[in-house]
Amino acid sequence: MFEEKPANPAAGETQEEPLAAQSAAEPVTTEEESSRPPSEPAPSVNDREEAAPSAARAVAVALAGWLLPGLGHALLKMWGRALAIFLIVGFLVYLGAGMRGNVFVPGGEDAFARLGYVADAGAGSFYFAARALEVSGSDVSHADGDYGTRFLATAGVLNLLAALHAYEAARGRKA
Amino acid sequence: MVPLHFSHLQSLLLFALIISLAFGTLGRRKPIERVKYAAWSFVMFVLVGIALGWLMYPFSR
Repeated sequence: MFEEKPANPAAGETQEEPLAAQSAAEPVTTEEESSRPPSEPAPSVNDREEAAPSAARAVAVALAGWLLPGLGHALLKMWGRALAIFLIVGFLVYLGAGMRGNVFVPGGEDAFARLGYVADAGAGSFYFAARALEVSGSDVSHADGDYGTRFLATAGVLNLLAALHAYEAARGRKA
Repeated sequence: MVPLHFSHLQSLLLFALIISLAFGTLGRRKPIERVKYAAWSFVMFVLVGIALGWLMYPFSR
């Protein structure tokens, strides 16, 4: 894996508060002004508004990441993470389907089936890939199938975690 | 699709490896920190998994 830059250059690792929380009309702090060289112009209000992370954009990034694993990070130009998430979630789905794990469908009879569906659906479009791959149906009468069910659920939950990470990165909270 | 068959230990190792890679990728930024975190997660997954297996062993029969 290679080192990546934060999606938002204005958002460093140590930044706790999103830039959106700062008022655009607020004057630049005196500390910033004192540390800026005289030759460098002060950032305009428009510049700061452009740098402020948008909540709607962050939600769109998270949704994209959920629909296609890794897409959220790809939109943020975090290529290494995007590729890793795509491959890891895809591999988990492949293994789960190959081990004939249970792919839960909506409208389960009990809480376990409903929760299982929520976890499986977390893989986004890969949920349908799992259903397409598992042509002979699930077989949880053996340990393989049981493990496969966990692999599929883990793929979904992991993708949800990645989508949340992409959301946070888009908000400039962490990268 | 060709059915895949793994033993319990193989499944544990495979699961630990994949999830550790994901944790390392998402949890850290610098490559060396990613490798360290992934290795630490992998070892912990395997050790805790085997420990839990032994803890459950007396109740398995």
